[in-house]
Amino acid sequence: MRCGSAQKLIVAAVDGEITPERRRDLDEHVAACTDCLAELRATESLLGALESLPQEAEVPSLVEAATLRRMRVAAAEEQERKERRWGWFPAPVLAAAGVAVLALTINLRPEGRQGTPQPAMTPEATGVRQVARAPEPPAPPPAPRQEVAVATADDALPPADPPPDLAAAPELFMNLPIIRNMEKLEHFEAITMVELPPNG
Amino acid sequence: MRLYTAIALVALAASVARAQSWGGRPWNDLTPQEQERAWQNYRRYRQLPQEQQKGLERRYERFRAMPPEEQQRLRDTYQRYRGLPREERREFTEKYRRWRERPRGN
Repeated sequence: MRCGSAQKLIVAAVDGEITPERRRDLDEHVAACTDCLAELRATESLLGALESLPQEAEVPSLVEAATLRRMRVAAAEEQERKERRWGWFPAPVLAAAGVAVLALTINLRPEGRQGTPQPAMTPEATGVRQVARAPEPPAPPPAPRQEVAVATADDALPPADPPPDLAAAPELFMNLPIIRNMEKLEHFEAITMVELPPNG
Repeated sequence: MRLYTAIALVALAASVARAQSWGGRPWNDLTPQEQERAWQNYRRYRQLPQEQQKGLERRYERFRAMPPEEQQRLRDTYQRYRGLPREERREFTEKYRRWRERPRGN
């Protein structure tokens, strides 16, 4: 058997839908072909994962809970990191820096003074402001938390614009585990009831 | 004028019916949960080799051609199958394999 033929048989083989002779041929092939063996193992694991997906709406709440949990953990870690970063500074130094930043911001910030040239807009003043701002603890939302949220959404949540093949036949993918097991399911009762001779 | 309106309506209805029979419900008509499920399955499907994807598409064609009640029967049966303990499911698959190999026509 060649790799091409083996590849065609793999899904059917995983589903137990090929004859023993074909299965034997496939087994002989994969015993000698590491690529096809890897393919077979990957398909088994993929299709197994497919089957383990719930059909009902359990996933979103789990995903939501997991996402929130991860975001909380990431936020706590970020907070901890921030505290560690500034924790070694003596409190009076931090307080003094804070007061200095506040004072400079109030005096030099250009908002509300549009239209009239202010000393705050001069290069010198800007330079002072930049220097004075240096010890200010970072205020914007921490990047790692955002990354966690985005990664989770990418993994679990459908995109706003689904890929064309998904948009073209969403029910194919919704019913994929059923489609995969279709023959088994069509004859479920018959197979359950039938008495078969023992193996061998 | 009425005739043209009637023709336009019939054409519209036919195109909607054709679209539905082709891909089932459109993406935007799925609930968020259904979209989520379709998306997760789609991601797994995309990891399969093309030949295997084609095999699943062929089965889907057959599924789509079934009457709605038969499709529903398969969905219900799948829930039963999924509800089986792992070992029983494995045994069922094994029995299914033997059932397929059994001598036919008697």
